Amino acid sequence: MAGSASLRQIAFYGKGGIGKSTTSQNTLAAMSHYFGKNIMIVGCDPKADSTRLILHEKAQDTILSLAAEMGTIEDVEMEQARLWGKGLFDRETPGGWINCTESGGPEPGVGCAGRGVITAINFLEEEGAYDEEGLDFVSYDVLGDVVCGGFAMPIREGKAQEIYIVMSGEMMAMYAANNISKGILKYANTGGVRLAGLICNARMTDREYDLALELAQRIGTQLIHFVPRNNIVQHAELRRMTVVEYSPSSDQAKEYKELARKIVYNDMKIIPTPVSMDELEDLLLEFGLEDEVDETQVGKAAEA
Amino acid sequence: MFVLGFHFPAEMGNKVPDEKVIEKLKDVDVSDVNEIKLLMGTKDKDKLWLSYTNKNTFLFKAMVHYFKEENPNKEQKYMIYMNRYQMSEIAKRVDASDDETMALCKNLDSMEQFRIEVA
Repeated sequence: MAGSASLRQIAFYGKGGIGKSTTSQNTLAAMSHYFGKNIMIVGCDPKADSTRLILHEKAQDTILSLAAEMGTIEDVEMEQARLWGKGLFDRETPGGWINCTESGGPEPGVGCAGRGVITAINFLEEEGAYDEEGLDFVSYDVLGDVVCGGFAMPIREGKAQEIYIVMSGEMMAMYAANNISKGILKYANTGGVRLAGLICNARMTDREYDLALELAQRIGTQLIHFVPRNNIVQHAELRRMTVVEYSPSSDQAKEYKELARKIVYNDMKIIPTPVSMDELEDLLLEFGLEDEVDETQVGKAAEA
Repeated sequence: MFVLGFHFPAEMGNKVPDEKVIEKLKDVDVSDVNEIKLLMGTKDKDKLWLSYTNKNTFLFKAMVHYFKEENPNKEQKYMIYMNRYQMSEIAKRVDASDDETMALCKNLDSMEQFRIEVA
């Protein structure tokens, strides 16, 4: 595998719309700025929004779009596909730096986006992006959950070894977190991938911390951090910035700094023990996210 | 595994015993603090000052430690949500007999923001 022995390859997974890209960019920004870590982001989402806050851009050219433009992937130059972060994350700025890449994907409804991820990672490996001097972390930001085998590719191929699942106290986010754990379990013995923790990107629902903690413990991992909801994240996004850059003294920047510190020093990487659907439903019932179903009423219309 | 910001090695598993967390706080000096003041609420809402004075509890010690850490000028400090929830979680087990602590834990468990000062 490419990269030095000390290179850590992490990935952020989670339900679509949960805030993976926002959480990952803000956290990686804090890892770079406060802890001097050098990072390469590999966006694995056709939306190509995994790097915009670091680059202060709408979306960078993706590896697949460049390949389409040039004719073949062999014609793509590294300088086109990998951009240096702006502002705090530039190489000329003191502290760590961040390199940005986006795999891109096919047009909606055409082809397999997972194959785009494979093509992009292979390109980056062949071009030596993982061997760059001083690189501490590679971070994959992966769309949705692992129901699609293509998006499991960073796990399946042993690229991402340390998985952080972004979730919240909502039912579908919990369901996806458990499902992703099943994907990790499937490849844990062959590829060495491990679950490193759940990140609760809070919706600020009742008992959300308790629920997230309980799920983490049942899966066998840790709730590494509870990120509260704060409008400053959206304000920063409007300027295409991370909170760390937009408002470094804000409360939310302190939250991301703490999450960054925990990831930098995290040594808890486990093979998960996903729960059954029945257990998950019991958990949701216990915490009031679902109402008890009267089995005698199942399938009956309201007016019957 | 991280509890109250302390790192516990992975081999301890994902449920760190309370005694191990308490052990980390054993050298915290609370003698110069008589009262913990907590400002509860956000900028957009009404704020409420809470006072906490029971020095003989885990929660008091944990809060004094949180306040003093990396705060040489003893300025009002934002409380990280996770740390606050973990303080409450442990206090509800080890300080269960103290009514003042249990009342404060109810507030700490909320979604409100907290800032901490000491007097």
